[in-house]
Amino acid sequence: MWSSTDGVYSLTVTILAKAKSLVVVLPIFICSLAAPVHAERIEVKKSTITVSAAASLVNVYTEIGKQFEKANPSIQVRFNFASSSSLVSQIQSGAPTDVFAAADLTSFDKLLATGNVVKSPKVFARNSMQLVVKPGNPLGITTVADLSKSSVISLCAKTAPCGIYAATVLSRYGVVIAESKITRGIDATATLNAVSTGDADAAIVYATDAVSAKKSVATISIPAGKNVKAMYGIGVIRGSKNSKQAETFVSYVLSPAGQKVLNTFGFLAP
Amino acid sequence: MNSVSSRTPRFVRIGALLGVAFLALPIVGLLKRVAWSTLCRQLTDVATRDAMRISLYASVCATVLALVLGLPLAWCLARMQFSGRRFVRALVLLPMVLPPVVGGVALLGAYGKSNGLLGGLLNSLFGIQLTYSLWGVIIAETFVALPFLVLSLEGGLRSIDVKYEESAAVMGATSFTRFMRVTLPLLKPSLVAGLMLAWARALGEFGATITFAGNIQGRTQTAPLAVYTMLESNPEGAYALSFLLVAISVGLLVGLRDRWIGGSSQ
Repeated sequence: MWSSTDGVYSLTVTILAKAKSLVVVLPIFICSLAAPVHAERIEVKKSTITVSAAASLVNVYTEIGKQFEKANPSIQVRFNFASSSSLVSQIQSGAPTDVFAAADLTSFDKLLATGNVVKSPKVFARNSMQLVVKPGNPLGITTVADLSKSSVISLCAKTAPCGIYAATVLSRYGVVIAESKITRGIDATATLNAVSTGDADAAIVYATDAVSAKKSVATISIPAGKNVKAMYGIGVIRGSKNSKQAETFVSYVLSPAGQKVLNTFGFLAP
Repeated sequence: MNSVSSRTPRFVRIGALLGVAFLALPIVGLLKRVAWSTLCRQLTDVATRDAMRISLYASVCATVLALVLGLPLAWCLARMQFSGRRFVRALVLLPMVLPPVVGGVALLGAYGKSNGLLGGLLNSLFGIQLTYSLWGVIIAETFVALPFLVLSLEGGLRSIDVKYEESAAVMGATSFTRFMRVTLPLLKPSLVAGLMLAWARALGEFGATITFAGNIQGRTQTAPLAVYTMLESNPEGAYALSFLLVAISVGLLVGLRDRWIGGSSQ
């Protein structure tokens, strides 16, 4: 009896086996894997630190990482970007992390409570929230209060710092948005993407996110009186195998060189 | 049975045991995390109920849509010789091997209201917006589920001896009668298997959905999206919903048991 599920399998196998493109793609793939290995062999032995950082830091930390590696050739930085609340869960469940940089300070309180950090974090930057809309602002939104005009609003997950900050801003305006109009991004980047590449009408994101996406969105600032002061904290995770190198990275972020990069990306000094 | 196992080398049996443990352990781990005492309350929570309702509705609609588009496609691939056949076959397979998130981005490029090739037109002419709507979920799920149905149907159609249909034609049956009375009954096993595979794929879809249709509770948040969203805010709810999805998957396997489980004796 010829089974149709076997058919699915054998068809897939035959077609994939015939894919001549693999012959072309594989060597390229292997070469791209092999290249950095060769480069490393020539240099001194490096120690690698893992920095788990809030998604809103993706651009600025990538740049800081490059400059840090140039200044400290023996240390290599590997980043893990996600929402601060996801990173807290990851660290609590034992994800190997040397440095944690969060978009708030309460994330550190949670880690202090579970003993994953021993010291209070150092504040390395400040941020605020901003409203972003589609380029040209087709709905004519001028303030947070106008958000009721839009049909889909992108906000961060309720537990992520950017989601908590957005909720604070909305409550300061006394604006209540039905959950049926809110699409929840898993982190700050995803929340912004819903407006910049997707079809959401508006989003409340970090002022720095709005800076990095200035071409694909229009921004509307939120006055300081109703805005939040997002404090970014950084600290070394307990049990880090490279705590010395981790401390070096933390100092670099707090140093004038690190602060200069943060400033270029729109972050405010602590 | 005994003679077979005595011929199987020990290292093969150990390897197989490791494979079984590798697959079983995560399921056991999940079941261990489910808070059984609050299971009912968690599953009747508004967010969970909404997610299940959307998931079931959208996945069934996606399966039907996949059948409407997939049957003619499978027919042509199995029975027709045309110049672009290999290209069409590759196109059908693409969503199967493509990362679903990339599928979501591609769907935005086609049906997005602001940047889509067709989406802008749909919106300006008819005021239809597919993104962030239930239709968006259905389209994302159809996109990833269609290949499974087409491949299954194509295999089934190939295995049917054309002489049955030919003799029906000789006896004067119209093409519709031929399809309903001859082809369809012969195709039924592959059709059922294909529908189930497509439905399971649609039910589990995550990446394309969150990218194309967003994550709106009560509107586009399907069960997998709800599990992911709740993992931080309400882990108990996330585990309860995960358990329900496992139960549905097991139910599906029971439905397919004659085809996969114990069906290898031939």
